[in-house]
Amino acid sequence: MDMTSRELVIAALEFRSPERIPRQLWVLPWAERTWPAELSAIRKKYPDDIVQSPGFLTEPLMTSGDEYAPGVYVDEWGCRFESRQAGIIGEVKEPRIAAWSDLDGLRLPQERLSVDVRKVDDFCAASGAFVHARTVVRPFELLQFLRGPENLYVDLAERPDGLFRLIEKIHRFFLEELELWASTDVDALFFADDWGSQNSLLISPVLWRELFKPLYRDYAEVAHRHGKYIFMHSDGHIAAIYPDIIEIGVDALNSQLFCMDVKELGRRFAGQITFWGEVDRQRLLPYGSPADVGAAVKIAKEALFRNGGVIAQCEFGIGARPENVAAVFETWDGLA
Amino acid sequence: MLKEMQEALIAGKKADVESLVDQALAAGLPAARILNEGLIPGMERLGVLFKNNEVFIPEVLVAARAMNAGLGKLEPHLAAAGVKPRGIVVIGTVKGDLHDIGKNLVAMMLRGNGYKIVDLGVDVLPEKYLEAAKANGAGAIALSALLTTTMVQMKNVVDAVEASGLGIPVVIGGAPVTRDYANQIRARGFAPDAASAVEEIGRLIAA
Repeated sequence: MDMTSRELVIAALEFRSPERIPRQLWVLPWAERTWPAELSAIRKKYPDDIVQSPGFLTEPLMTSGDEYAPGVYVDEWGCRFESRQAGIIGEVKEPRIAAWSDLDGLRLPQERLSVDVRKVDDFCAASGAFVHARTVVRPFELLQFLRGPENLYVDLAERPDGLFRLIEKIHRFFLEELELWASTDVDALFFADDWGSQNSLLISPVLWRELFKPLYRDYAEVAHRHGKYIFMHSDGHIAAIYPDIIEIGVDALNSQLFCMDVKELGRRFAGQITFWGEVDRQRLLPYGSPADVGAAVKIAKEALFRNGGVIAQCEFGIGARPENVAAVFETWDGLA
Repeated sequence: MLKEMQEALIAGKKADVESLVDQALAAGLPAARILNEGLIPGMERLGVLFKNNEVFIPEVLVAARAMNAGLGKLEPHLAAAGVKPRGIVVIGTVKGDLHDIGKNLVAMMLRGNGYKIVDLGVDVLPEKYLEAAKANGAGAIALSALLTTTMVQMKNVVDAVEASGLGIPVVIGGAPVTRDYANQIRARGFAPDAASAVEEIGRLIAA
């Protein structure tokens, strides 16, 4: 095989018949702790074609606690997460911005912008893989963390001025972060927000288009202006906004394919965007068999592959069986 | 006036709902009629809209707030008239799980549909559900879980309820939960969303 990992990913993104479906495994700390030997074997046999650059921050983030340990973790925005389970992130129980008067005191985590660009570029030069920026751009989730989920949903219905001031503040920061990473040699920028429940969007598509689509359009514009690809992640049933995501120019979308109708997604959108995974991590990976997983991958290939447009991504997360995770990559490799 | 109340409720206009309840009471309408022909049909219609993806979480939350405001006005009159709730439901997110927005949505929709809710919060031990159900004479227990690792706690609650001989249904829901899983752990009810939870609990309590 002649293509490097980076070339494989780019060929997939541009529908130019990659020699093999490029792959990427996402690993939650739970899996590291529960299946260390099995995970190591999977990583060795199926190395990632996409990697994320280290942050290379010259100033430490002002956080406290362990994000993935039971107890309290405070992130760089001052959001306080509580968790009862090792290996997964907790829930915000006390909003940082309980009242709009708290907004003026919101400290932006400027340390996120202290990226050592030379080190990032050196990392990219030394890596044969397709490199993602270490951005944590997630406006909707951050709004939920800062306001608390229920407050935010009510805000979205009642639309107080404070909501728009808050969105503007965090959006400007995210744009600055993306511009910075776009000035490095990474191949792609990345943003994420979970927009779906099991069977629909969390907010109306109309509201999404009005308030959030413009933010994402800006992120895509930054990436493309700098010659980078733009990747997006959203959990849940998001079929209603797939056309919008394609329209704003997202190159690759990580979504819960099996929460939706994979064949219908393929019929409507294959060839227009790259499906960056995944395989059902709520049911198949924890409760299915390797044969079930293999069958699901074959369905995805048939529905979504158009001389590319697919990345074999899955998440080794809570409850997933290592033999099922291995089956994801084994099947994709066999289908190439 | 009651039709107008329904529309104000669905639109989440809290002040309008309060005002219309006041007007209805002042006009001499019985509190039970205001509840059963004004507020509850409004919430039922909202539930249908939610199931059909015509309204979403923000609209449901503001409608629930409007409903609670209206109920606040009505409750003293309902109590004075001896009007009882449709049923009593104990609800909580299972042990080890701190996620509560799904559980809160179900609780709000149930309250808005005339049920009394005993909300135990999050990270609830199996025995707490049982204690609360006994203490409050509950007609059903509703369990929520977001994580595949915590939904296994649902079986412990179902087992505890079975062992107690209480005989009330347990209804489960949450992102990873399926009808198959409900059958597997012998939970009598399953709901894929908050509106369905109201229907499922209503069906089981009436059975």
